Amino acid sequence: MSGVSLVGVTKMYGQVKALDHVSIEVCPGELLALLGPSGCGKTTLLRCVAGLERPDKGTVEIGEIDVTDRPTRERPIGMVFQSYALFPNLTVRQNIAFPLEVQHWPRNQAKERVDELLELVRLIDQADRYPKQISGGQAQRCALGRALAPNPEVLLLDEPLSALDALVRGRLRDEIRLVQQRVGITAIYVTHDQSEAMAIADRVAVMNQGRIEQVAPPADLYDLPTSQFSATFVGSRNAVELDVKNGKVGIPGSFSIAAPAGSNGRALAFFRPEDVRVNKAGAGSGLEARVALKVFLGATTRLHLSGEADGRPITIFGDLPSRQARLIAEGETVRVDVDPDHVQAFPV
Amino acid sequence: MAVARDAGRLGSGGRNGPGRAVRYLLFGAALFYFCVPMIAVLIYSFATRWTANVLPDGYTLEWWSATLSDHRIQSAFFTSIALATLTAVIDIAVVVPAAYWSRVRNARIRHVIDVAAAIPFALPYVVIAFGLMQFSGMVAPQYQGTFPLLVAGHAAIAFPFVYWAVDGSMAAAGIERLSETAEACGASPLQIIVHIVMPNISTGLVSGGLLSFAASFGEFAMAQIIGRGLDTVPLLSAEMIRSYTDTAGSYNRLAVITLLTFAVLFVLSAVVVYWNRGQTVRLLPGAVANDGGDRR
Repeated sequence: MSGVSLVGVTKMYGQVKALDHVSIEVCPGELLALLGPSGCGKTTLLRCVAGLERPDKGTVEIGEIDVTDRPTRERPIGMVFQSYALFPNLTVRQNIAFPLEVQHWPRNQAKERVDELLELVRLIDQADRYPKQISGGQAQRCALGRALAPNPEVLLLDEPLSALDALVRGRLRDEIRLVQQRVGITAIYVTHDQSEAMAIADRVAVMNQGRIEQVAPPADLYDLPTSQFSATFVGSRNAVELDVKNGKVGIPGSFSIAAPAGSNGRALAFFRPEDVRVNKAGAGSGLEARVALKVFLGATTRLHLSGEADGRPITIFGDLPSRQARLIAEGETVRVDVDPDHVQAFPV
Repeated sequence: MAVARDAGRLGSGGRNGPGRAVRYLLFGAALFYFCVPMIAVLIYSFATRWTANVLPDGYTLEWWSATLSDHRIQSAFFTSIALATLTAVIDIAVVVPAAYWSRVRNARIRHVIDVAAAIPFALPYVVIAFGLMQFSGMVAPQYQGTFPLLVAGHAAIAFPFVYWAVDGSMAAAGIERLSETAEACGASPLQIIVHIVMPNISTGLVSGGLLSFAASFGEFAMAQIIGRGLDTVPLLSAEMIRSYTDTAGSYNRLAVITLLTFAVLFVLSAVVVYWNRGQTVRLLPGAVANDGGDRR
């Protein structure tokens, strides 16, 4: 098993820095998700690993071997694209066999391997169909089988689920994860969908403007974003602008924490809707706020709470179990409390 | 010409009412326009004499048998078919890798190809032919008036047809993505072109090949200038028009040659249409993918 290591990878498109000195280590057998908004450089980074882009600076290593100057076809990679990119002139079986054919595997060995993969991606019944004759989910499973066929050391997935509808997406996501773990292959998974990244990855690298903002296991990223960007990008969060007073920021009666280093008068406090506690007026402490809107989401209900902090009107989103939220009416005045352990503040 | 088009998509308007009548009327007019000259030539090729009446005075197979057994005409057809076939093959061999390269590796050569593809239409063939004659006179005078030089000339003026058709097919097939995928599978550029590119642009290859074949087969001005001494079908036809008189029945034989030319192109077109069953052939530059690999 081999890892992937990128050191100081920089890529310019004209004047635009697509990648800005990106260094990251992908451990052997790990699935690393590259998460970020479109244009953040995540796909460019993946293409640098694949050799489809040549970095202007920096090195790419796969399994301790420097592959920076190697063409794509000489790299031990398998790749899955958003658009499936199945060869329309070949059947499912021939598609999976293609990499083995061009790499001159012995015939019987290749056949054995293709059968193995058809079973792994559950396409035995569709083996002799053409790409036009199978569904999107099947097409992407076929692409996965083709990518894994020649026993690559690294599997690269470029938004593999984006072209599929929601139901298939969830199922295929879990299936990709299961296959990746069963094969034990190192994988890099590009996505703009934070819930997808959280669900599938061992670690998530959050990217923004050609740089990696944070690399962490999903749970850590969710609980402790280390930058304002990862805080806003990962999960839904409250962002409240507050004044710094005596080295502290807070909402009176609700929470108060140490101001972040480098904050100049003001700071942005982040906390999750599920960490917001809502009490009936008169019971307990907290900021006084009005329930402006109730949004029923199923198991939870989201309350839009309007109040005032540091002389500015603020809106806080709070998620309550729906059964509990039923006791609170729209327009009612309540007290809003936030657990200070789950608040993070960044300089404005 | 051999442009298979999805006629259903072109027609607009309702299924009934005046729209339908107008469509039939237009179709009938077009049919009349295309067919009357062909039918007239066909009748003329069987006519003994055709004087004052709507139809000929009598019929004969003489012109057909005389034409088909004329060695000079046979060899002209052989030369023209060989010329057109070689032109098509050379154009495909040159254009496919170039179009592929411009799409996948170096988009900058695209501008060069686009400009080069416009030249045969911007300049008269006569001018190009004289230029070619001057140039070949400087670098390889021994080839002047020979078959290879004419092949080269025809390949140069007919290549845009192949380029446009092939490029449109590549856009439709999403060749960039397929090529990257094949590369990630470990395929070499040659393997990619043979196993992935060619099979997925077959409609473009066939229609482009046919168009360049037709362009070469009927080309007159260039053959006249740099192919002197050769007998191609258009050159022979021109000679017959100029030097014979009608008494020898030469115009009837010319009608036979015209029909044979038509037959050659018709058979090829039929092959293309059959080959592309159900698919729209894209011949124009900028044809956009709409039924490529991406399905939602």
